[in-house]
Formats: sequence, C-alpha cells, structure tokens
Amino acid sequence: MTTPARDIILESTGLVKHFGGRGLLSSPTVVRAVDGVSLAVERGETFAIVGESGCGKSTLGRLLLRLIEPTAGDVRYEGRSIIGLAPDEMRKLRREMQIIFQDPYASLNPRMNVRDIVGEPIWLHGLARGRDKQERVADLLRTVGLIPSHGDRYPHEFSGGQRQRIGIARALAGEPKLIIGDEPVSALDVSIQAQIINLLEDLKDRFGLTLVIIAHDLAVIRHMSDRVAVMYLGEIVELSDTNALFDDPLHPYTRALLTAIPVPNPTDRQPKPLLQGDVPSPAAPPSGCRFHTRCPHAQALCREAHPELEVASEGRQVACHFWREIRNAGAGALTAPVPSPALTQRLALYRTWRERQDSTGTPTA
Amino acid sequence: MTRTQALRSSEDRLHQAQGAPSLLRVENLSVRFDGSPDDVNVVDHVSFSVEKGKTLCIVGESGCGKSVTALALMGLLPTPPARIVAGRALFAGQDLLALPERQRADMRGNQTAMIFQEPMTSLNPVFTVGDQITEGILRHRAISKAAATERALEMLRRVRIPAPEKRMRAYPHELSGGMRQRVMIAMALANEPQLLIADEPTTALDVTIQAQIIALIRQLQAESGMAMILITHDLGVVAEVADEVVVMYAGRVVERGAVDDIFADPQHPYTIGLMGSVPSLGRRQGALTTIPGTVPPAELMPRGCRFSPRCPFADQRCVSDPPPLVEIAPAHDARCWYAPLELHREVLR
Repeated sequence: MTTPARDIILESTGLVKHFGGRGLLSSPTVVRAVDGVSLAVERGETFAIVGESGCGKSTLGRLLLRLIEPTAGDVRYEGRSIIGLAPDEMRKLRREMQIIFQDPYASLNPRMNVRDIVGEPIWLHGLARGRDKQERVADLLRTVGLIPSHGDRYPHEFSGGQRQRIGIARALAGEPKLIIGDEPVSALDVSIQAQIINLLEDLKDRFGLTLVIIAHDLAVIRHMSDRVAVMYLGEIVELSDTNALFDDPLHPYTRALLTAIPVPNPTDRQPKPLLQGDVPSPAAPPSGCRFHTRCPHAQALCREAHPELEVASEGRQVACHFWREIRNAGAGALTAPVPSPALTQRLALYRTWRERQDSTGTPTA
Repeated sequence: MTRTQALRSSEDRLHQAQGAPSLLRVENLSVRFDGSPDDVNVVDHVSFSVEKGKTLCIVGESGCGKSVTALALMGLLPTPPARIVAGRALFAGQDLLALPERQRADMRGNQTAMIFQEPMTSLNPVFTVGDQITEGILRHRAISKAAATERALEMLRRVRIPAPEKRMRAYPHELSGGMRQRVMIAMALANEPQLLIADEPTTALDVTIQAQIIALIRQLQAESGMAMILITHDLGVVAEVADEVVVMYAGRVVERGAVDDIFADPQHPYTIGLMGSVPSLGRRQGALTTIPGTVPPAELMPRGCRFSPRCPFADQRCVSDPPPLVEIAPAHDARCWYAPLELHREVLR
C-alpha cells in the first residue's frame, strides 16, 4: 500500500521557545511556552491548533511564521528552512505567509484609513501602484464583504466583525498561500462569528489557501478544520484527523476538553466527569507526563516518564502511556445534539429565504 | 384566537399570581441613554419573572441590552447617561426601581448579589481576598470581625478553593482566572442572597474551567434555593443551566419561554438564525447559516421590528409596525408578525 506523497507546505521539527532565564534583567524562571513541537501542514488543508490559555498555541503560531525566533528547532516553508533566512529574504517570504489576529482593533493602525491599511502590503511588496493599487484595494474590500467607499474610514468607525474583515483584506493583499488565524473569531458575537467563518472558508476555496487556525472553541474547530493538534503545556498531546478526534478521542486531555463543552441540548443534562484543578504554570511543568496532575487515569509511570508522541494509527499520534487501556475503557466521544423537527424545518425555511435575501443584494457588512 | 386576544393572554399570564409566586417580576423595564433618539430605548419594555430556586437565562449578543437590564435591576446603572424611563421590578413585593439609594445599597450584596464576566475588574487589587469577602459580610451583618472572617473562610471552602486559609491572605493577582471567579462567587453568596445575577460569569474562562464553574453554581443554587438570572451569549451554557429563557435583540425581548421549548420549538427568526450560526459539535453539514449585517446603531433603528433589517422574512409591515410579544404556545411568547413561520412563509424553490 502506497500513500501518495504528502504535499507539505509548512513543517516544524523540535520547535522550542523558552522565555526568560537569560540576561541580566530577565527573571530567572524559564517559561517553556513551546517545548519540542513537530508538525506538518499539508497544502490546501485547514489545520487547527487547540488548547487552553497558556498551552503555547499562540507562541507556536508566531514561531511558525518566524515572528519570534525559536530557542531551538526548525521551521520549513515549502521545503526551505526559514530560521536562518536573511531579513530581506524573510520579508519577501512574508507576502506568502500571513496572520490574522484575535483582536482586529489592536492590529490595525488607528491613524491609517482602511485604504492605506489594506494598500500597505501591496505597496510594500511592490505589487501595484497608483490607480492599479486603488483598484486592488477596492477589489479586496469587496472580496471580504465591505464596500470600496469604506476605504476612506478609520478602524474605530467599524464594528468588531467589520474590523476582522479589514484584517482579512490586509492579509489577502499580498496574495498569500498560507494564512495563520490566531483566534480569528473568538472575540466576535455568534452571528458575526458565523459570517467570518464562512468568509474564511470561501476565501480558502477561492484562492487555494492553506489555513492554520489557532483556537480554543472546539465547535469552531470541528466545523472548519481537516486535522487538529491538541496542545497542553507547550506540547502536542494528540494529533489527528478532525472527525476521528471527535468520534474517538485518544488522549485523556482531549476527552476532558470534549466533555467540558456545554452542549446546546437542555434535555441532556447529565453530571459530567470534570477535570479538577487549573493548568500548572509553564514555568514549572510537572515531571513525566505534564498532564498527570489533572489526569483521572494517571499512574506511577506517568509521574516519572515523559510519554513521546507515538503513532496510534494511520495519521493519528498521541502522547500517553496508557491510551490503549483508556480507549478500551470506553466513553469519551461527544454526542452532538440532534436538532428537533421544528428547528430543522424552520432552519430549512430560514436558509431558503436567506439565499433569496443574498441574491436580492442585502449588504452583508 | 385573534392576535389581540393572544396578546392580552400573554400579558395576563405575566400579571397572574401563579402556583409559585415570582421572587422577581420585571414589568416593562425601559432604559434610555442620553443623546439617543427619543423613541429608541436601549432596553425597551422588557418583562420577565424569576421564581425562587429557578434560573432565568437572558441570551443575546452585544448591544441587545442584557447587561443594561442587569445593572438596572441592581441599581448600578451609570446615571447619566443611562436613565430608567419606565417600568417596575417587584422583588418580594417591593419595587426595586422606586427604592431610595440607601435602601438599594442595603440590599446589594445582601438580598441581591451580582457577579461579572471579568473578576479581576471587580476585585480590589490592593486588598487580600479574605479582607474583601469579610468587608461584604460586615457591611450587612452585625457580627464580630472574627465571626466574619470565619464566615469568609467557610465560603472559600464552599466554592472549593484549595488551601482556603492560605487563599484568605492572597491578593487577586496571585490567583488564576477560575480561582478569581470562585472568589467572586464566594463574595456574592456570603450573605445568602435570594437572587443572584451572573453576567457572563464563564465567558472569560477556559472550557474545562467553565465547566467547573457552571457545576459549582448549579450545586450552590440547589443547596441554597436562590433564584438566578444568568446572562450569556452562549446557547450551550443556556441549555446547561436555564429553566426559563429570555432572548433579547436590540433592547427588546423577542422570545420567551421554558428552556426545552426554546430549543425544541424556536419561533423568532433571530432565535432560529442564532441557532443556525453556532457550529455543530457533530459532523460538518455544509456552511453555517448566517444572520447578515449587524445590529443597527440607535439613530438607524427601524420603527417597526428591530430585527427587520437583518431578517430574511421581513416585509414592509415588519419595517413599519412593531410586532407585539404574543403567546405562540402555552407559556411561550414570540415577537414576530409571522410566527409560526411555516404558517406564513413557504419554502422557496
């Protein structure tokens, strides 16, 4: 059996980022934000990185774009290491690798109007000038669901969802191949979140993008991504195809995350086995398996030996000494609620009228 | 039944004393911000009631008026710019909105208490956790400092803070987000309030911590029999804790009913659109359903149904005439001219 060669666009090997600990004035404690992460993102897929606060997912996202320098390890983009690249070579490459942030307001210059914000990468990378540039900006604004006349306005004049659209337009301006979204929808209201998720998916199809989505919302991840890496205290504990992960989670932490999601079904209120305690500090991660302090299945071995990420089945990796035993003990998958007949009927009705609404030209922003 | 009759019956139901008398009955609460157009209230004729031991969830997105409603009930609205222009809030027979400030202050943190989304902004950074809980107890109870400290410690145990004696001496910045929210809950419940208002209490927390806090709140409520108003944007949280649900949009109640009815039989197009916007936890089924556009600013608020600019079903009538809140099914109200939708709108194509 031969699998077709995977077309890897972005790859990290043994990526490490430690903060602090060096220098005269920095604190003596070392925060091990990212600690030995290896992953490979395939061209055209949506790859998700999920975990709770402090797990290192945002640091990993910045390392993958070399927005910060790693303590150790390597990042390869289209087969070429980007860690040693000279600044101007790196700058050229940035055109192809873009990022969208959680808080669009904090990432948009308040003193620039939208035309300049979106036009800056076009100018910077010398893609177009003058009238051509203005045309492109107008096109980009239309692409993300804004109108060209918005170009004259400033970021504070927009709502959160519209600002995220501006952030996306700016990311698209350099005609990227890869976009990393760091919690791109988590600050938005539910109805706006759905608009932005659909927009990102449309753009991905339209421009053949590869997306890396960093998020904590598992429902968003299940909806958007092809594969998922689950992080805990700077390490990947499970990496899997999305459906397999949700149908049959292997790592006890993944199971705990899935169990903790409040399910929108009031008729199914069972008491859940909950994870106790808080995430330990990444400045002093526990010995052995970093999850052992909260793991309901922990044994002596877990306190002593660090479990390596091992292949569980094709395309699945897990870092747990006892994943086989735990899996056989059953239960851990998520039962998604089935919508009621009335909701199903009215949603179908809503969708057909919604399509009509779009085709009659209601602005979406 | 004609629509007017239905409307009347919906209003009557609210005024009737039912089996369990309501602990809090809010009637036609309206709040306006100075400077907004005369007829655009940020909270507009909002009515609901909460029974002892029960949880009412107010659900809606930014700008729907859910937090302003809560602040109005607690007497914490910044006036100006916010002004209560109409309404009553009967709590154990008294109209909260008519009480002088002194009496309100006596009630706050005593019979009624509130917790907020971001505990760090509600905790004083220069006092220890123990001092802050003790202060609230001494404000409302004629007991000694030592007895208040003992009570504070007991509260920390009840909210399951590990090593409570040590935490009494901790400052807020020394605690994690989940622990801070537990401290807030301990503080809010220290005087055994009859009503707790929780405004997005788990929104800033990680999912595993959120699950802990929800379980804790539910357990404490079962122990104490207090009533709760929980404000959230998260339909998952609503499904986990609510008995009754009020869906708000742009300052108005658009749908109201028992939690099972709201999820099984949603009537208002906004409620339906909101449910379609949430990604499913099951296998992917195509693109998400969306609600187009955003909430209009006050100066562009339509005279009729406030959802009409975004509603796929809206017609001229919706734009010009505000629909009343009508009882669609027993104890289930919706504010839409065309509910139930399948009777008024056909599937297109």
